[in-house]
Amino acid sequence: MHRTLMIAGLVVAAALGLLWATGAADTVAQWALAAQRDVQNAMAGAVRALRGGQPGAFWALMAVCFGYGFFHAVGPGHGKLLIGGYGVARRVRVVPLAALALVSSLAQAAVAVVLVYAGLLVLGWTRQRLLDVGEGAMTQLGHVLVGLVGLWLVWRGVRGLLRAPAHDHHDDHDHDHDDDHVHDAHCGHAHAPTPDDIARLTGWRDAVALIAGIAIRPCSGALFLLILTWQMGIAAAGIAGTFAMGFGTASVTITVALMSVWAREGALAALPTTRIARALPVLELLAGAVITLVALQLFLLS
Amino acid sequence: MIRALTLLLMLPCPALAHPHVFVDATIEVVFDAQNRATGVRIGWTYDDLFSLMIVEDRGLDPDYDSVLTDDAKAQLAGFDMQWDPDFAGDTYVLIGNTPLPLSRPSDFTARFDGGKITSTHMRSFAEPVVISTDTLFVQVYDPSFYTSYAIIGQPALTGTTACTAQVFQPDRAAADAIYLAAIEEMAGSADVEGDFPAIGAAYAEEARVTCTAP
Repeated sequence: MHRTLMIAGLVVAAALGLLWATGAADTVAQWALAAQRDVQNAMAGAVRALRGGQPGAFWALMAVCFGYGFFHAVGPGHGKLLIGGYGVARRVRVVPLAALALVSSLAQAAVAVVLVYAGLLVLGWTRQRLLDVGEGAMTQLGHVLVGLVGLWLVWRGVRGLLRAPAHDHHDDHDHDHDDDHVHDAHCGHAHAPTPDDIARLTGWRDAVALIAGIAIRPCSGALFLLILTWQMGIAAAGIAGTFAMGFGTASVTITVALMSVWAREGALAALPTTRIARALPVLELLAGAVITLVALQLFLLS
Repeated sequence: MIRALTLLLMLPCPALAHPHVFVDATIEVVFDAQNRATGVRIGWTYDDLFSLMIVEDRGLDPDYDSVLTDDAKAQLAGFDMQWDPDFAGDTYVLIGNTPLPLSRPSDFTARFDGGKITSTHMRSFAEPVVISTDTLFVQVYDPSFYTSYAIIGQPALTGTTACTAQVFQPDRAAADAIYLAAIEEMAGSADVEGDFPAIGAAYAEEARVTCTAP
């Protein structure tokens, strides 16, 4: 039963991939685009209503901001790339990965708040200067960090492949050896993957790298909102709205975290137990390569 | 497999970005007395949030009621016309397959209605263009997709009765195919990124202007 459920994850992932390849994702993208536009217009209305002192305006703004975060996250983005890629690459447990998705979205909101208020209050920057820094230098830095995480995964995948023994019977002893990996005591007895087999999030360094890679690039919408509300004298609502956007974004990245873990375990469950240890470094290598290449493209096109 | 991976990794820019400014664009093609097209007047209506941001950033609405004084409205004109030298203006005009160079923007206007800023500007052709066998294409798009443009309404044709205009939506599937073909064509090229194909136009909405012989 457990194995069937796991394999279903692979089927779901394959179905999503097929939808994407056949252009159905384009329909989703068009739908998200229309929604982004609506929610952006609604945000202006909510800001005006709040400034005008209308009752309920604060929570209306929070709802709109949550929607803004959600609809922008539905489109392609670096956060989903990193969380999803990492979830496929490493046998990380689903709860820590989902928590990481939430923390990184909120950290991204915090970065936007710090950037805008440091820029406005300490450095005396104009709106344009702030947007240039947020959408230019910091975005590029984010792409570099994402690319480095990708390369780090590729490197570990290659190392895992080189270390993997030629004999399938011994593999279980060899999977996931890393400097920062806590080796499961029962590793040699692993059969079909159970939650217990799944390694912990590999050390605090990975967590920090993922959070930094996602958070360093502030969302333009958050910058818009923060600058605007500061100018209109409703700064606190803007800061709260920025975190509401973060929760909206997190609702999508957490879903991606769940999907990636499910798909990865599905792929592994479809394999004979003895093959799993061989497959892990390959998954890691592939996911790392995809992350690196997309980050490179983002960097070059920005 | 390699082909699928290539497509996956070389996604066109629109798929990798999401827009943060939404603009409704209007197009007017201006003709001279000889029925030749001399330029295009482009109108941009910005979304509420961007409009609000511009107005507040310039301090044009100090009481935040979204009603601007005449003086404040006058200050808006030209607010979006300080273009960097390398900014193409997000407007692209072709006659047949040949791109037409456009002048810098002139004759700016801006107004503020119902919470939205609408600006217009003129882009002139280097010389008047006869539209006969070839169609005139007017495309409005941002190659980086930071701004999402939608052409609204019927394009206006000023000074002619011999021509008609129609707006076309992009054929996204065809655009993907063009993109993939461009990528494959470059597969042997040493500097793929350097020669990145300019395919953004394939994803753009466009107005097509055709004329009957005078």
